[in-house]
Amino acid sequence: MSTPLTHGHDEADQLYIETRELRVQGFLLFMVSDLVLFSSFIFAYLYLRNSGQGWPPAGGPHVDIWLAAMNSVVLFGSGATMHFALENWKHRNFIKFANWMMATIVLGCLFLGGQGVEYVSLYTKDHASWAGSGIFGASFFTLTGMHGFHVFVGVIYLITLLLQATAGKYTFSRYTGLTLGTLYWHFVDVIWVVLFSIFYLL
Amino acid sequence: MAVAAVHAGGIADHIHPEPQGFVRKYLFSIDHKIIGIQYLITAGVFLVLGGLLAELIRVQLMNANGGFMTPDTYNEVYSVHGSTMVWLVIIPMLTGGFGNFVFPLQIGARDVAFPWLNMLSFWLFPPAGLMLYGSFLMGAPAAGWTEYPPMSLQGQAGTSMWCAAIFLVGVSSTLTGINFLVTLLKMRAPGMTYTRMPLFCWAQFVTAPLLMIATTALGAALAALFIERQFGVPFFDPTKGGSPLLWQHMFWFYSHPAVYIMILPVFGIVSEVFPTFARKPIFGYKMIAFSSCSIAILGFMVWAHHMFTSGMAPFLQLPFMVLTMLIAIPTGIKIFSWVATLWGGKIHFSTAMLFAIGFIATFTLGGITGVFLAAVPFDLHAHGTYFIVAHLHYVLVGGSLMGIFSGIYFWYPKMTGRLMSEKLGKWSFWLFFIGFNGTFLPMHNMGLLGMPRRVAEYDPQFQTLNRIASSFSFVMTIAILLTIINVLYSIKKGKRAGHNPWNARTLEWQIPSPPHYYNFKHIPSVFANPYDFNEPLPYRGLEEELTDSPAPMGAH
Ligand code: HEM
Ligand SMILES: [Cu+2]
Repeated sequence: MSTPLTHGHDEADQLYIETRELRVQGFLLFMVSDLVLFSSFIFAYLYLRNSGQGWPPAGGPHVDIWLAAMNSVVLFGSGATMHFALENWKHRNFIKFANWMMATIVLGCLFLGGQGVEYVSLYTKDHASWAGSGIFGASFFTLTGMHGFHVFVGVIYLITLLLQATAGKYTFSRYTGLTLGTLYWHFVDVIWVVLFSIFYLL
Repeated sequence: MAVAAVHAGGIADHIHPEPQGFVRKYLFSIDHKIIGIQYLITAGVFLVLGGLLAELIRVQLMNANGGFMTPDTYNEVYSVHGSTMVWLVIIPMLTGGFGNFVFPLQIGARDVAFPWLNMLSFWLFPPAGLMLYGSFLMGAPAAGWTEYPPMSLQGQAGTSMWCAAIFLVGVSSTLTGINFLVTLLKMRAPGMTYTRMPLFCWAQFVTAPLLMIATTALGAALAALFIERQFGVPFFDPTKGGSPLLWQHMFWFYSHPAVYIMILPVFGIVSEVFPTFARKPIFGYKMIAFSSCSIAILGFMVWAHHMFTSGMAPFLQLPFMVLTMLIAIPTGIKIFSWVATLWGGKIHFSTAMLFAIGFIATFTLGGITGVFLAAVPFDLHAHGTYFIVAHLHYVLVGGSLMGIFSGIYFWYPKMTGRLMSEKLGKWSFWLFFIGFNGTFLPMHNMGLLGMPRRVAEYDPQFQTLNRIASSFSFVMTIAILLTIINVLYSIKKGKRAGHNPWNARTLEWQIPSPPHYYNFKHIPSVFANPYDFNEPLPYRGLEEELTDSPAPMGAH
C-alpha cells in the first residue's frame, strides 16, 4: 500500500508506524466479535444444560476428563512456548525464536491430535455421533469443534508467521504481526480454560 | 491527478493511487465513496424486489378469503419480504451506504481504516441477496423473518439457504462495524474531537459496536439452526432435547439491538438535515450524542420483550418491561432536541427536510405504540396481531425508510454533483406520507380488533380495513418509484449542484461534488463544532480544495 507520492525515503517506515495502531485495534475488535461468537454458543450450552435434562444427558456419553486434562496441559504449554518465542524475538535472537515457534506449532498439532483421539473414542465407545446424541452432540461437539477449528487456523497462522519472519518480513523493531499472532494464540488458550471448566469440571 | 499531500496529518494522510480502468475503479473499488454508492444501488434493487413482494401481500389481503396465493406461497412471500427489508435494504443502506460515503468525509479522513476489508464486506452482500432470492427455487423460508423453530425446522430446503444468506450479510456487517469503529477512533482529522464530530458520525460511532457484537450473536444462532437442519443436531427441537426458546433468546439478543442498527443512523441523518434547513445550531448536541449511547446500551438489555408470551419465567417480565420503557426516555430527549432545533428556525422546506419532518411525526407514533407493547398486560393482548405489524412499520418505514429518503435527497448532490428534482421529490414525499399512513394506520385497528398477523385468509369483518390499507399501499409504491425515477433522471438531467447547494457546514460540503478520489488535497484541521450558523466555518486548510472540481456524473 505504499505510495509514490513525495514522501521521504523513510516513507515505508512512516506508513508502518501510522498503520500499526489501526491493525492492532482492528485485530482486537475482531477478537471481541469472536468472543461474542463463543459466548453465544456457551450461553446456548448452559441454557440447554439447565433446561431440566441434566448433564451429561441420561444414558448419554461421558467425557474423559484425564484425556482432556492432558490435552489442556499441551495447549497451555504451547501458550508458554509462544510467549518464549516472542520474548526471544524481542531479544533479537532469531534461532531461539524459530525453535520456540516450532515447538508451539508441534504442540498445537498435538492438541488437535488429542482432540481427534477424544472424538474417535467418544464415537466408538459411547456411540456419541455428532447428530445422534441429542444436546450432547449439539453442545459439546459444536463448541469444542469450533475451538479446535480455531486451533487449526492458529497453527496455520503461526506457520505463516514463521515463514514470513524467516523471509525477513519483520524486523527486530517492527513485529506487530508477531504480537498479534501471539495474542490470537493466547486468546484460543483462554477460551479453552472456559470450555474445559464448563464441560469437564462443572 | 495532482496530489502532493505531505503534511503531518498522521494516519489520515496517506493516499492510495487512483486506479484506472472500469473494474478497479467502479466494480472492485477500495474507495469508500464508490463502495457506499455500490451499497446504495444494490440495496435499492432489493428495495424494489422487497416492495414487489409487499404488494403481493397487499393484493392477497384485499379479499378475506385470499385466493390469489396459496397459504404456503403467502408464507414464503412475507418471510422473504421481511428478511429483504431488514437485511438487504435498511441495514445495508444506512451502514454500508450512507455510513461508507459520508462519515469518512465528515471526519476528514481519506478512507476507512481497512479499505480492502471494506471491499470484501461489500462483495459478501450481493451473493447473500442472490441466495435469499434463489431460495424461492427450492422452497423459500416460510416462518417469517424471525424463523422461529420448530416451524423453521420443518421448513423447506430454502430455509437453510436463508440461514446461509443472512449469515453472509452478518459477516459483512461485522466486518463493516470493526472497520468503522477503528476509523472513527483513529482517523479523525486534527482537531476533530468527539464533541466536534457531526452527529451523523456519532450515530455511526454508536451503531458500529452494535453491528459488530449483535450480528456475531445472530451468526451463532444462524449457524446453530443451519447445523440442526442439515445434520440433525438438536439445538432447538424439543422432541430431541433442544429448546425452541433458545432460538428466541439468541435471535432477539441480536434482533432487538438490530432495530437500533436500523434507527440510530437515521437519527444521525436527520440531525444533519434539521440544522441545515432550519439554519440553526442543533439544539442539545451532547444530549443527542449521549442519548444514542444509552439507547445502544439499553438495547442489549431488553430483548426478552419479544418473548413475553413465549413462556418465559414470569419474574423476568417486570425487569424487561421496565428496561424497555426506559428506552423511551433517551428517544424522547432526541425528539425534543429536534423539535427545539426547528422551533423558531428559518425553515426551508426542501424535500430532504420534508422527509425528515415526516420522520419525526411517524417515528414518534411508532415509539409510542412501542411503549404500549412494552407493557406486559397490553402485549399479551396485542402480540401476534396486526398491532405489531403497525408498530414495526411505523418505526421501520415511517422511521428508517423516511430517514433514508431524507438522506438520499440530502447527499445526492454530494455523491453525483447534481441536484435531484425538487418537484418530483415533493410529489414523492406527499404521496409517500399519505400512502404510508393510509396503509399502516388502519393496522392498529385491525390488531386491536384481533386480526392475527401472518395469515393468508382472515375474518370478513376486517375486509374493509384491509382494502383501505391495500389501496393506500399502491400510493406508497408510486411514491417510492417516483424517487427512484428521480434518482435515475437526475444523474443526467439534474441541475449542477456546486459544492454546497444547501449551505451546510459539515466537512463533506466544503470539498467538490463529487469529491476527488483522495477526498482532501490537504487534511484540514478543525477548531469548533460544525453547527454554529452565522459563525465562520470552523476549518483550517481548505483553501485549495475547490480549485479543480471533477465533472458531475452524467457529464461527458
Ligand atoms: C420507544 C422505543 C420502542 C419500544 C418501547 C418498542 C417495543 C417493542 C415491543 C415490546 C415489541 C414486541 C411486541 C410483540 O411482539 O409482542 C416490539 C416489536 C418490534 N419492534 Fe419495537 N419498540 C421500540 C422501538 C422500535 C424501533 C426504533 C424499531 C426499529 C427501528 C422497532 C422495531 C420493532 C420490530 C421490527 C418489532 C417486531 C418484531 C417481530 O417481527 O415480531 N421498535 N417493539
Ligand atoms: Cu425489541
